[in-house]
Amino acid sequence: MQIKTVLAVAFAVAASAANAQQMVFTSWGGTTQDAQTEFWAAPFTEKAGTAVLQDGPTDYGKIKAMVEAGAVAWDVVDTEFDWALQAGKAGLLEPLDFNVIDKAKLDPRFVSDYAVGSFYYSFVIGFNPANFSGDAQPATMADLFDTAKFPGKRTFYKWSAPGVIEAALLADGVPADQLYPLDLDRAFKKLDTIKSSIIWWEGGAQSQQLLASGEAPIGLFWNGRLAALQADGMPVGISWQDNITAADALVVPKGAKNKEAAMAFIAEATSAKAQADFATKTGYAPINLDSPTLMEAELRATLPDAQTANQINADMAYWAEHRDEIGNRWYAWQAE
Amino acid sequence: MLSFLTPARRGSGLGMAMPALLLLLAFFVIPVAALLSRSVTEPVPGLQNYETLLGSATYLRIFFNTFLVSGLVTLITALIAFPVAWALAIMPPRMAGVIFAVILLSMWTNLLARTYAWMVLLQQTGLVNRMLMATGIIDQPIQLTNNLVGVTIGMVYIMLPFMILPLYGVIKKIDPAILQAAALCGATKSQALRRVLLPLATPGIASGALMVFVMSLGYFVTPSLLGGTANMMLAELIVQQVQSLLNWGMGGAAAFILLVVTLALYALQLRLFEGKAR
Repeated sequence: MQIKTVLAVAFAVAASAANAQQMVFTSWGGTTQDAQTEFWAAPFTEKAGTAVLQDGPTDYGKIKAMVEAGAVAWDVVDTEFDWALQAGKAGLLEPLDFNVIDKAKLDPRFVSDYAVGSFYYSFVIGFNPANFSGDAQPATMADLFDTAKFPGKRTFYKWSAPGVIEAALLADGVPADQLYPLDLDRAFKKLDTIKSSIIWWEGGAQSQQLLASGEAPIGLFWNGRLAALQADGMPVGISWQDNITAADALVVPKGAKNKEAAMAFIAEATSAKAQADFATKTGYAPINLDSPTLMEAELRATLPDAQTANQINADMAYWAEHRDEIGNRWYAWQAE
Repeated sequence: MLSFLTPARRGSGLGMAMPALLLLLAFFVIPVAALLSRSVTEPVPGLQNYETLLGSATYLRIFFNTFLVSGLVTLITALIAFPVAWALAIMPPRMAGVIFAVILLSMWTNLLARTYAWMVLLQQTGLVNRMLMATGIIDQPIQLTNNLVGVTIGMVYIMLPFMILPLYGVIKKIDPAILQAAALCGATKSQALRRVLLPLATPGIASGALMVFVMSLGYFVTPSLLGGTANMMLAELIVQQVQSLLNWGMGGAAAFILLVVTLALYALQLRLFEGKAR
């Protein structure tokens, strides 16, 4: 992979010297960005002749600093969707050009003036079957919070983001259609009951390590990371009951140097084929409505968009509006 | 011809330091000043960021954690480093060279890789727990990560060279004849250690301790990976505020407090020890 990256960069630099057409795409690294490089950037370069330099990881502080300094080195960035909505309002992003990006084919849940979906994922309950070999296997959010019935550490996403708060409220008996506005007092009270059993994961690789090693035999994970463990032959239990969807977004920071190339790149990345290929590789769901028809039926059944029966869509607009308030409280609670 | 190398021409010293000073000014002093000015201007002008930081039990707890971890790490590092430095100073030079190579080699290895290694060793199903259980010392795995124990082990390991090197420098310079003299005068071994060796080594302990303590105050990677959120340290708070919440005012205020504490400690050390050593 290292050599591939070096070659890609070398090729990109050579190409840029030839026709000065290049742009920078920034994402979160790991297998996700590898797939984005392979299925979005490479076909785009082939078609448009624009080299795509890869950078990362995504860093919101850096985006803000670049925009304020007027020196924006990133042209397209993969961010969390709720952050994108908030940042658009705060003036950190360029409005997207929907003459170039065909939004008619995109899932309207993940389209806004400043951002379109990159892919979407579900937070699902994952567990190590070796630790729960009895009759009962964890299935519901209530089980996830029940340390008497299912003992052991649980692992949750460390950063303030849609997912864990919703899970706590569902576990406490809040009906799925009454989650918003979020009752933070109630959520933190529920989280308090298992606080000493929580190990936080900061990134996908760490979440996989915690589950595979048995350090945390149960937790709330990005579905794609569990799919990757299964693909490696590890037995992993997954419960889609009350799976909570959230999305990543593609955005263009305000003042990006290659705005036109950026819009064209987003158009390619959200096209039916690019989205279908990416989903096939990563286990994350496509945001292009035409993509599922391009994918194998068997594979589609494992994606979040086949699990709508007990699915909850995290309210991105609510999160965008209350991100700071929830974040401050979240981190203060963690440190208590 | 080589007169510029002699200390007589004092004025040229500053001239030669100029490139470094300019570099520091452009890439350190100015950005730090900019961040600090944000701490009193964002989101509105005033000292509200400092009020929030110093007025809430949660943030005070983070300050307390930062000092607790740094203090513990400094103490344990000093206790381990002293005998090591002493042994290095009195052993044959060739053997000392090999041990120095081992110490330095660990410093040159990537910090993240070393911290991950500790994570793997210390986790519930890790090597340390399995060894302790196999030997019957414990019958349940004990919690060694995501808490104070994990952070302390990981950081002591990383900080050891920064304590061993200055201590070695000082101990090496102590004339062995002084210890012989102490013995001749009837001092027991422990008296010689407490009343002769330790006082002479104090400047080394002090500069090593200051370096370890100050570096620990601002540490991020190891506490973040080996500690739990209940042991959160100041650097983690700054990262949260700047990266996740885009609240640079608060991040700047926390950074400024850290800077003031660091400078104060440095001033204290200069006052207490530099005068004596020279």
